[in-house]
Amino acid sequence: MQLERFTYDNKIVRNFGIATIVWGIVGMTVGLLAAMQLFKPAMNMGNQYTTFGRIRPLHTNAVIFAFVGNAIFMGVYYSLQRLLKARMFSDTLSKIHFWGWQLIIVAAAITLPLGFTTSHEYAELEWPIDIAITVIWVVFGINMFGTIIKRRERHLYVAIWFYIATFVTIAVLHIVNSFELPISFLKSYYVYAGVQDALVQWWYGHNAVAFFLTTPYLGMMYYFLPKMAGRPVYSYKLSILHFWSLIFIYIWAGPHHLLYTSLPGWAQSLGVAFSIMLIAPSWGGMINGLLTLRGAWDKVRDDVTLKFMVVALTAYGMATFEGPMLSLKQINGIAHFTDWIVAHVHVGALGWNGFLTFGVLYWLIPRIYKTELYSKKLAAFHFWIGTLGILFYAIPMYWAGFTQGLMWKEFTAEGLLKYPNFLATTIQIIPMHVLRSIGGALYLIGVIAMTYNLVKTMKASSLLANEPAEAMPLEKVFINESATDRAWHRVLERKPMKFMVLSLIIILIGGMVEMMPTFTIQSNVPTIASVKPYSALELQGRDLYIREGCVNCHSQTVRPFRSETERYGEYSKAGEFVYDHPFLWGSKRTGPDLHRIGGKYSDAWHYNHLVDPTSMSPGSIMPPYPWLVTQQLDISTTTSKINAMRTLGVPYAEGYEQQANQDLQIQAEKITAELKQNNIKVKSDREIVAIIAYLQRLGTDIKANKQPIPTN
Amino acid sequence: MFNQLKNLAGDEYYLISSLLVFMLFFLIVGVYLLKLNKQHIQMMSELPIQDQKTIANEED
Repeated sequence: MQLERFTYDNKIVRNFGIATIVWGIVGMTVGLLAAMQLFKPAMNMGNQYTTFGRIRPLHTNAVIFAFVGNAIFMGVYYSLQRLLKARMFSDTLSKIHFWGWQLIIVAAAITLPLGFTTSHEYAELEWPIDIAITVIWVVFGINMFGTIIKRRERHLYVAIWFYIATFVTIAVLHIVNSFELPISFLKSYYVYAGVQDALVQWWYGHNAVAFFLTTPYLGMMYYFLPKMAGRPVYSYKLSILHFWSLIFIYIWAGPHHLLYTSLPGWAQSLGVAFSIMLIAPSWGGMINGLLTLRGAWDKVRDDVTLKFMVVALTAYGMATFEGPMLSLKQINGIAHFTDWIVAHVHVGALGWNGFLTFGVLYWLIPRIYKTELYSKKLAAFHFWIGTLGILFYAIPMYWAGFTQGLMWKEFTAEGLLKYPNFLATTIQIIPMHVLRSIGGALYLIGVIAMTYNLVKTMKASSLLANEPAEAMPLEKVFINESATDRAWHRVLERKPMKFMVLSLIIILIGGMVEMMPTFTIQSNVPTIASVKPYSALELQGRDLYIREGCVNCHSQTVRPFRSETERYGEYSKAGEFVYDHPFLWGSKRTGPDLHRIGGKYSDAWHYNHLVDPTSMSPGSIMPPYPWLVTQQLDISTTTSKINAMRTLGVPYAEGYEQQANQDLQIQAEKITAELKQNNIKVKSDREIVAIIAYLQRLGTDIKANKQPIPTN
Repeated sequence: MFNQLKNLAGDEYYLISSLLVFMLFFLIVGVYLLKLNKQHIQMMSELPIQDQKTIANEED
């Protein structure tokens, strides 16, 4: 019965806290830069490394994995130690985890602007970094489970359940979504193609939102909110119910990102049904959080940390109500590919993740420094300017989304598209994009004010690196062994490993039901005889399309709406994408869809448009790509690319890799000759020739088809 | 909302079976919650508030 004395490691918490702030500023600044390019393309500074297509993934990766990622680790390392009455399992693992994660972020910040990307949204990092992420994630897992095993508190509080589910699910998602065949140090092809690749990507993408941006934050909410409010959570039972329902349902909902695409209809319907059900557990969490403050609303008036928490929970509630609504096909038909989705994710990111992080930082930093916050007034200023920033961001984006989505669909009385020129719909919403940037800037100013406030707080005192604590060792803890105590749930709460396995099974059920039929049933992806593999030049051009991040603004999937078939042509069929490793359907149409672009314009049009988009489309906000003319195409990779594609099942003829570069040369000469007829002189070995070849091939194979094509 | 769930051409088995799996799962969690001991719930929900039993103040 000897009381044990030990210490909590506050230094690792502080380090993750500082990393959160630093990467938050970096990620949001890059976001602001990207946002400004959408009304002033020259903000790319005339530089390929800072052009929208390359920095948009930098922004998303920085805010998700660097800002939110470090905030998760800060919250977990602080709360886990205290909830388990134990220091972290290993200080060395904590350090490896911290520095490993920062190195991964630096690697991302270098490779993404250089154009090394897999093009899978929110998983753009190339294969060596994917491996590093896996290793560091395992280090985090060992450190977390090690702490759980040596704990002095027998029962695992609900926050820890959320942390365990996060660990397990992110591991599964990351591994399944990273099956890539490397062809060089920083280039790989996904083993999945077309529809299957799309399904894997959005199963990952949707659940990255669920298990990286939601479950760890709910865990943090369940720990920090009761502490801030000084009262227990409103309903512990509700927290259990909403935990199990949330992890069970979330995993099924991914296909709502692919409505009206060539994904099999049953998978789309499944995604919709589960998305609607998702309202219940999500709101369970929000209600539980807000009701924890019942009778403590007077505290909210005085305490800025609680203000941040209230807005965070409200934003969570709004975003999780809107998400299911957006997955209804009728609403999705208008909202998808527009700024509406951008508004939706930013309500979640700025409101829920951002504000909860700020609330925790304001609460936690003074505590581990054993001092008071430097300025409560400045924190209040942060709260108000941040809230204003969210409003200035979200409202114009909603407006832009409704406007553009409806303009795309509008017909005249004669039955013609009212806005046949896509650009007209882009120009219409430019003022909204200006306002959005102001919103983003306001939010960033708030974060800078917070940084100043917290730096001053830290400087006023010194870190209590090892916080002394005491607790009874676990064996001595008295347990009332009544009949109900022996029930399986109580046992489960004390057995973290069994708990982990059960969570794993639950998330795997949904994942497997969705994916296995698509992967195994041939009829789910009807092949089309006339669809052939890309030529060597087109394949190289496709990789340039990936490098430049064209997919960030252009979709490649025409939905079966009259407004789309009128504008773009025949709607996209699953069989057209069978050789697409990876798929490039995209999720946003800042510019028009490109699936039927092949043959629509001349080579000369594409050349001029790529070099100076405004010369062909006055008022266009597409950035110019002059470096495609000056840079030579790297053809040393052709053989390995053809070989890799063949390994993945693309039926290139035996020995094609030997003559691939010769074939590439012939096709390039043909394009240069055609350009020459239009007084454009360009060498046939330039990158622009390859990308023109690819664009001209897009969506054309189906035209040669004589057989009936099964509907999607 | 309901139109898209009506025309499924055989795909409804996926929907119905997944819904049944979830209902079953929901019922199990429901029964689990009903059987939970009140004292235990009370103890669990107070865990985060009680964890501040550090001896930090002695050092101050």
